[in-house]
Amino acid sequence: MFTEAYMQRALLTALLLAPLCGLLGVFVTARRMAFFSDTISHAALAGIAVGFWLGFTDPTLPMIAVSLGVAMLMLWLREKTDLLNDTIMALLLSGSVAFGIVVLSLLKGYRGELHRYLFGDILSVGPQEVAIAVVVTAIVGTVVFARLNALALLTAHEDLAHVSGISVRGLNYAFVLVLTVVVALSIRLLGIILVTSLLVIPPATARNLASNLRQQLILAIIVGALGGVGGVALSFQFDLPCGPSIVLTCLALFLITLVGRALRKSRRRNLSPA
Amino acid sequence: MAEIHFHPRGLAIEVRGLRVTLGDTAVLRGVDFHVPKGQIVALIGPNGSGKTTLLRCLLGLQRPDAGQVRLLGEEVGPAVLKRIGYVPQRLPFDRSFILSVREFLSLRLRETRGWFWQRHRNTDAHLRAALAEVGVDHLFDRPIAGLSGGQLQRVLIAFSLLGKPELLLLDEPTAGVDTPGEQDFYGLITEVHRRHKLTVVLVSHDLSMVYRHAARVYALNGIICCEGTPEEVMNADSLKQAYGIHVTPYHHEHGPGHHHVH
Ligand SMILES: Nc1ncnc2c1ncn2[C@@H]1O[C@H](COP(=O)(O)OP(=O)(O)O)[C@@H](O)[C@H]1O
Ligand SMILES: [Mg+2]
Repeated sequence: MFTEAYMQRALLTALLLAPLCGLLGVFVTARRMAFFSDTISHAALAGIAVGFWLGFTDPTLPMIAVSLGVAMLMLWLREKTDLLNDTIMALLLSGSVAFGIVVLSLLKGYRGELHRYLFGDILSVGPQEVAIAVVVTAIVGTVVFARLNALALLTAHEDLAHVSGISVRGLNYAFVLVLTVVVALSIRLLGIILVTSLLVIPPATARNLASNLRQQLILAIIVGALGGVGGVALSFQFDLPCGPSIVLTCLALFLITLVGRALRKSRRRNLSPA
Repeated sequence: MAEIHFHPRGLAIEVRGLRVTLGDTAVLRGVDFHVPKGQIVALIGPNGSGKTTLLRCLLGLQRPDAGQVRLLGEEVGPAVLKRIGYVPQRLPFDRSFILSVREFLSLRLRETRGWFWQRHRNTDAHLRAALAEVGVDHLFDRPIAGLSGGQLQRVLIAFSLLGKPELLLLDEPTAGVDTPGEQDFYGLITEVHRRHKLTVVLVSHDLSMVYRHAARVYALNGIICCEGTPEEVMNADSLKQAYGIHVTPYHHEHGPGHHHVH
């Protein structure tokens, strides 16, 4: 099964992006940004529509551009208006989806594309996507690891981060930038609807096993890799949509670790003298 | 308490004409606040009088509408913030974030260029010593989000002290701590002050506790309305002037001489 070129591309992309999502996801979940990243991924639908409209055969760049625009708009509205965070995100999410679907309906011949972008498709990972994934993983991985201390302190307490000399605003924007690019790229495999789950389930699985942040980060990367590669393999073997296969693989790992954690806890309770 | 360490060595905090409006409320209405170096001082005022807002302006967390702030003789900026420790009032440590106490403390160590998760025997010994100084070295491997209020305060003080601050700002450090815990806490602060020779600003809405531990007291209610030694500020007339409301001397179990602001 690994001899087909498109299969190798899909596996390699999953092996790069899924662990990256696991790593970023630890901070996304601790900072309660899951809905934020869901909005970013749905904004990509508007980007895809704009891309096809402008005649792009590959909408990766318009996707990233529109998602980034929406992400920055969210941050700007959060700073400048009294609107509630959830309101801002719900407005932008529904607006992007409605806009994207309307434009795709007006353009003839793109309805079929919709399904693969919504749920992910291993066939859609071309050589260009692999190249972009390699470059982005190298850059994002380096940047995140270089700023890991600052990111951890920012997540723990923004005011303490500021007093410790971290540029809170700059780091917040940089984190959103990185998150947007990774989410937009992961849509090829996961699909718009499910991409956020790759930011949420591996960190939650790691949380079941870890007792400090270091362990959680390492385990989230490993769980992301296992879920990504396992899901792509399942998708190929049984001709399933790629996104749901990855999500179900990750969910299985989550349930196994959850049961393991519960068993460990009850054993410890039984061992400790009453 | 006598005015120990009071020498004209310059000012730790120098605030002139500070004005802040939040929403429709003029929270700070021309605050002048001068704290000499080397003392423990108290900033008191009822809830909502702007104490936290004033601290946030000192730290550059809140932009004032008007006025000047100088800390340790410098403009507020990253350079001077490195010389300041801050223990915030609200502690939004999220239970879902499993940063351990050891990991948290290592984030404050500027001299370790490495990642917080790398363990070095020297660093660990240094961090343990910092925790031991505030009496909680048994919390070394615990998740920070699972600590009690009092434990967290101590860990936050250890965190601040790792940055070798010259000025320590504590916002309502004993809120939610019981009376014996409060006594221990002020004992700890006095000890830290003596050993590290720093300036300490204690923020509290409760005059009775800071009374015994502060060399100077500043009463805030939109402006600094009175300041002086605890005895001077405890004077009912000046307190009445301070809050513009009726203040009753309040006697309870710590004995006479303690006053609550209502
Ligand atoms: N973001 C905000 N918007 C509007 N008003 C605020 C905001 N934050 C604080 N306030 C108001 O500012 C006043 C001073 O608050 P604060 O500095 O926290 O007082 P203290 O710390 O003395 O209790 C309060 O009346 C509070 O309601
Ligand atoms: Mg306050």
